[in-house]
Amino acid sequence: MQTYRRGSSFTDRALFIAVALLAIIWIAPIIWVVGLSFKPNEVLMRTTGGIAAPPFTLKNYTDILASSSVFGWMLNSAIVAIGQTVLTLVIASLAGYGFARTNFLGRNALFVIVLAALAVPEQAIIVPLHTMFAMFDLHNTYVALIVPRVAFPFGVLLMTQYFRAISPEIEEAALLDRASRFKIFWRIVLPLSVPAQVTLGIYTFLHAWNDYFWPLVSATRPEMYTLTIGLASMQTNFAQTEGIGFLMAQAVFAGLPVLILYLFFQRYIVSAVAGGGSK
Amino acid sequence: MAEVSLRQLSKRFGPTQVIGDLSLDIPSGEFAVFLGPSGCGKSTLLRMIAGLEPLSGGEIHLGGARIDILPPGDRGVAMVFQQYALYPHMTVRQNMAFGLRNIGTPTDEISRKIADAAEMLEITPLLERKPAQLSGGQRQRVAIGRAIVKQPRAFLFDEPLSNLDATLRSRTRIELARLHQRIRSTMIFVTHDQVEAMTMATRIVVMNRGQIEQVGTPMDVYRRPQTRFVAGFVGTPAMNFLTVAAVSDEAGFARVSLPDGSTVTTVIPTKALPSAALTLGVRAENIQPGGGIPARVDVIERLGERTLIYANLRDGSTIVYDETGDVQVSIGENVQLAIDGSNAHLFGADGRAIRG
Repeated sequence: MQTYRRGSSFTDRALFIAVALLAIIWIAPIIWVVGLSFKPNEVLMRTTGGIAAPPFTLKNYTDILASSSVFGWMLNSAIVAIGQTVLTLVIASLAGYGFARTNFLGRNALFVIVLAALAVPEQAIIVPLHTMFAMFDLHNTYVALIVPRVAFPFGVLLMTQYFRAISPEIEEAALLDRASRFKIFWRIVLPLSVPAQVTLGIYTFLHAWNDYFWPLVSATRPEMYTLTIGLASMQTNFAQTEGIGFLMAQAVFAGLPVLILYLFFQRYIVSAVAGGGSK
Repeated sequence: MAEVSLRQLSKRFGPTQVIGDLSLDIPSGEFAVFLGPSGCGKSTLLRMIAGLEPLSGGEIHLGGARIDILPPGDRGVAMVFQQYALYPHMTVRQNMAFGLRNIGTPTDEISRKIADAAEMLEITPLLERKPAQLSGGQRQRVAIGRAIVKQPRAFLFDEPLSNLDATLRSRTRIELARLHQRIRSTMIFVTHDQVEAMTMATRIVVMNRGQIEQVGTPMDVYRRPQTRFVAGFVGTPAMNFLTVAAVSDEAGFARVSLPDGSTVTTVIPTKALPSAALTLGVRAENIQPGGGIPARVDVIERLGERTLIYANLRDGSTIVYDETGDVQVSIGENVQLAIDGSNAHLFGADGRAIRG
């Protein structure tokens, strides 16, 4: 009797080795960063190699906890990331449902405009955005940090496609069950789109948490810095000859919330990266 | 339950007319089946009654009141969809309760109605499950249950058996017929499967190209098809159609000659016949061996209790006839067939049946 064994072919083994190599190459800098974060700064001034050899220290982390600014920046990042995520989900869901299920004049043209926005690079609109927010005197506010990112064309596209994939018969059944349009959206369609919402939510949160460019332009007062800007502002030593361990500990610290998020929502992040909602 | 009346309905999708000037009355308590091939407009018609498809013209009345101006939820109809259309994130109980909650039914009444319907459909143990945890047949029952609890004035079924396997389909057919006997509600059932239509309907509405071809009881449609289309669509195997070469008179009834020279005497008065080309229609069970029409066996289909034999006449045309299951016959064998003229039909060039 023949049995089928996965990974028994040469191609599968070659693929496995290639993936393992890529994973090692990818993870090596992260391991290095984590390793350096536990090393005394004085040692790192001489060499940044040999992360496995003692001495080790927790001082870099205790220094972070002792610094008053880091937690404030982290809070700013959390407010901005959560705010962006919630608003993006609301806007993308409503717009996506509109595009997927309602028939209005100019729908297709409007959808093309949304898709075209995907091709507009962030850098191209940064000056007009800056001017606009300066005009309204909104820089250094949460509104300025959150609002420009919530009209997220990819989110609208994702939700539109997801809503389109939901059987129209389900909504028709709800119509016959005397549900209003909003009730159908709220009680039927929205709960069914949870996998897409989670995917989009994580994607938006990670993007917002790691965002550097717009907060750099908009947040000029240290108390409004997000974590990325705050950490960058501490790098006054351009030669990077001192305080490397502290810097690495900050990087690890900044990445912790994202790591926790990843552990909780691993399945959805993988499907988000794979380019579609997990059903 | 209520009478459904369709008055001069029409439906256009852009320039394409899919339903044209269609009128039909379905008496209260009837099990009407819309039967027709794919694309004949039967599902569109059902959706128009449900309010899911806007009308291009005409009116729909239910129990004497006009309903085509009302939204779907206010029409007093319940629909069972082809794909069941259960709410996947809700339990069976929540699925059944959703419509009742929307019309403000008190909680205890909702519970009672669900319990009654669940008992009737034998789905009580499934009430706390979600649709994904149910088999196709169970989902179907839940979809029917969701319709029953609303106590609609008319039930609409849109090919609800097409996703079930053959055994389950046959069982569900019987259960639906039983359900109709029990609740005596007006039911409209859409299908392209003539077996479903024949077994469940009190009246069949045969549709073709957006028009009604014939309305009648199952046996009426089978025995007295009004058009060639109905004759060919209803019945398995399809009715044999043979071109009539010449017509003569025999005691006032038409005797037709087939292209191979053989003749069949019908019970259709000669005076009723038009002068244009005619087609003889005869069902497989009305052809027996032992007559004077020579044919050669081409294909044998053994179905168990009966055998279908496809044979070529001398002019090359093929006819199919019925034999017993264990008949001894072989391909290439020459047989002599007899056509029962008393059960034969004649169709004019316009496709309409000619009656005396």
